[in-house]
Amino acid sequence: MSVADPWKPFREVMQAPWDHVASWKRQSGRKVMGHLLPDVPEEILHAAGLLPVAIEGGGVQASHAQALIPSYTCNHAMGAMEMGLRGELSVLDGMVIPYVCDTTRNLFHIWNTKFPNMANEFLRMPKRLDYPGVRAYLAAEFSRLFESMAKVSGQAAGIPELGESVLLYNRSRAKLREAYDLHQTNPSAWTADKVQLLIGSSLRAPREEHLKWMDALPWNEKVAGTPVDRIPVYVRGKVWDPPQILDLFDQLGLMIVRDEIVTGWRSIAQDAPLNGDPIAALVERHMATIPYTGYHESPERMVGKFVERVRSSGASGVVFLNPKFCEAAAFDTPDFQKGLEQAQIPSLILETSTRGVSLGQVRIRLEAFREMIGQDLP
Amino acid sequence: MQPIESLKLIKQIVIDYFTEAHSARQNGKPVVYVNVLTPVEILYAMDMFPIYPENHAAILGARKMSPDVAPAAEAMGYPIDLCSYARCDFGAIKTGLSPTFGLPKPDLLLVSNCQCGTLAKWFEVVSRHYQVPMVLIDVPHSGEGEPDPAAERYVRSQLEDLVGVTEKITGKTLDEERLKETIRVSQKASELWTRMLMLGANVPAPLTVFDQFVAMFPIVSQRGTQAAVDFYQALVNELEQRVAQGIGAVENERFRLYWDNLPIWPEMRALSTFLSDHGAAVVTSIYTWAWSQLAVGEDDPFRDWTQQYLYQMNLHLNKRIEHYSQLAREFKLNGFLYHSNRSCKYLSQDIPEVRRAVTEETGVPGVIIEADHNDPRLYTLESIQNQIGTFLELISTKKVKAAS
Ligand code: SF4
Ligand code: SF4
Repeated sequence: MSVADPWKPFREVMQAPWDHVASWKRQSGRKVMGHLLPDVPEEILHAAGLLPVAIEGGGVQASHAQALIPSYTCNHAMGAMEMGLRGELSVLDGMVIPYVCDTTRNLFHIWNTKFPNMANEFLRMPKRLDYPGVRAYLAAEFSRLFESMAKVSGQAAGIPELGESVLLYNRSRAKLREAYDLHQTNPSAWTADKVQLLIGSSLRAPREEHLKWMDALPWNEKVAGTPVDRIPVYVRGKVWDPPQILDLFDQLGLMIVRDEIVTGWRSIAQDAPLNGDPIAALVERHMATIPYTGYHESPERMVGKFVERVRSSGASGVVFLNPKFCEAAAFDTPDFQKGLEQAQIPSLILETSTRGVSLGQVRIRLEAFREMIGQDLP
Repeated sequence: MQPIESLKLIKQIVIDYFTEAHSARQNGKPVVYVNVLTPVEILYAMDMFPIYPENHAAILGARKMSPDVAPAAEAMGYPIDLCSYARCDFGAIKTGLSPTFGLPKPDLLLVSNCQCGTLAKWFEVVSRHYQVPMVLIDVPHSGEGEPDPAAERYVRSQLEDLVGVTEKITGKTLDEERLKETIRVSQKASELWTRMLMLGANVPAPLTVFDQFVAMFPIVSQRGTQAAVDFYQALVNELEQRVAQGIGAVENERFRLYWDNLPIWPEMRALSTFLSDHGAAVVTSIYTWAWSQLAVGEDDPFRDWTQQYLYQMNLHLNKRIEHYSQLAREFKLNGFLYHSNRSCKYLSQDIPEVRRAVTEETGVPGVIIEADHNDPRLYTLESIQNQIGTFLELISTKKVKAAS
């Protein structure tokens, strides 16, 4: 690791995640578990002695997968399958796919058929967040996952190990939140792109190491020159797709004050409140996390809570990054947008696609949006 | 071709149902929007009136009204990639266009996601529109169908709590005897429906799935009522007679096919005629089988609903392959028509794999037809017919080869 460039290890992970994972595997002699986003508790995989690696299908150009999954499938699922079929995920010993929608449910079964030699697990996430019985169910499901992961790793792991993992991930999240906050106060040095580099790599590298790398970052760095006026925006969506969009936000002077992206603020916002039982802590963390689009609570409240999250973030506008063919997001968006309109908060919908989007187009639309919301600035 | 007389009753049944639906509110009956996998027997026992927005959307599709209503939903911001049932529903609410004078405003929305996740999201929109409460029966998928006691507790407790919700709305207490009575009626309809489906295994088949699609209305919308039982009894009697007399639905039945996924409602008549002209009888379909498994017992209906939602209706790839392979044998199929339905990701995304595995298992070939169950703007009839025509030629060469 170069002392001169403390960002290098993060970049290396993101540029060639599989090289890094393979070398970890060789050195440790342990197994690697892929997990499709969102909401697979990495702590459980970690405590079982596995390396959890997030699989992000967005941004992957599909060709092989098209023969296996119809084209009207979101790029997240399609991209994951594509990576699998191309052999890019061969370093994985298994895959956890969460049940968050019909697409991941179908994907799991197709995946399991195509990759029968992998230890594949379907995490049956409940959708109902407003039901008291959901906590007991989720706790049982997380326990089931823990047992299943311990079988994969062949490592005896229990509650104390899980407690340790929870603490480790809480520490990591706290540090990542610090970085996220620095983007708000010092966005020229702590760009959205850099912050996301940290979060993204944390989902792919061993957390212990990642924490150490983060310690070496220039936390107090200041950027010389006049601070540029930035317009605060809020982003709702699945993943940063196209990935270059973060750079666009930075370039266009749009500052992400908060987001609901599953590899963004949403993934670091909540710690698991460890108070004895680590499974219960993970359940609490899940319940307190910004609901994923496929989850359910009182429909009226879903909109109200969203608008409230946006309002309290101080954002001047909202960008919806909706994956094409994602039913859940498409059903939510019109009413969410209406809620924003009533609160006089402008918004923009950008649809991402399996065939990729033209960055030029995204830029033009974001620029126009910035002009529109920037007019309120003094 | 001798038409099935009992099917002519459907028109009146539909008219009566929607008349009753519209007057339900005036008669003080709370209206509940539901989907297929909800325990409507409880609603009947509580004097509530269940309505299936999917069914109404299918009527819009079959009457070729989708292009009149769906664009209104798209103008509201709901993309064309969304299930066309939902888009037709939103569009009908917006435009007021509907052959049934729309649907009466609901008092409650009740939906389970063991069918698809789409319905839950769709109902959320409706709930906000009408400002009415919604209950989601959340059914965690059962993986490969292995027992999951935690999920059983979770599903059962939601079903039990539903009784409290209905009691609060109606101000009544659930009468167990009435529930049992409704369950008995429901069982009867379900049994008759299954008997009817099985009749398709006869050669020649006395009915096709197109007849089943027409006959579906009561089992979908009136499960738990005597009207459904009476209709299916008459239908089964007539079909059994046809079997005894060797009357087939398709003259000179040459091909026996399977229809996967939902019908293409706007093209029902065109496709039925096209297939029949080619001597092809579509004798069974996953879609109509769904209603054969919905009956529960009187002893512990909550346990049965739980089992049904968690393990029977919760489709997964392997179960589907197994089921299709079994039907291929029982119904002596020589081809599968897989409708890759843009609207229904839930039933379509695994079709390429189902087709591969079923053919491998049974030797019966299949063709994938790209279309949409309710939105004719997303396909052309000509290309569907071309695909089917080519497929039939292929099977017929295979048959000749096998015979020589
Ligand atoms: S919720 Fe949407 S984006 Fe996520 S996997 Fe399902 S369809 Fe894709
Ligand atoms: S057509 Fe498919 S997606 Fe649409 S409501 Fe029916 S099962 Fe759900």
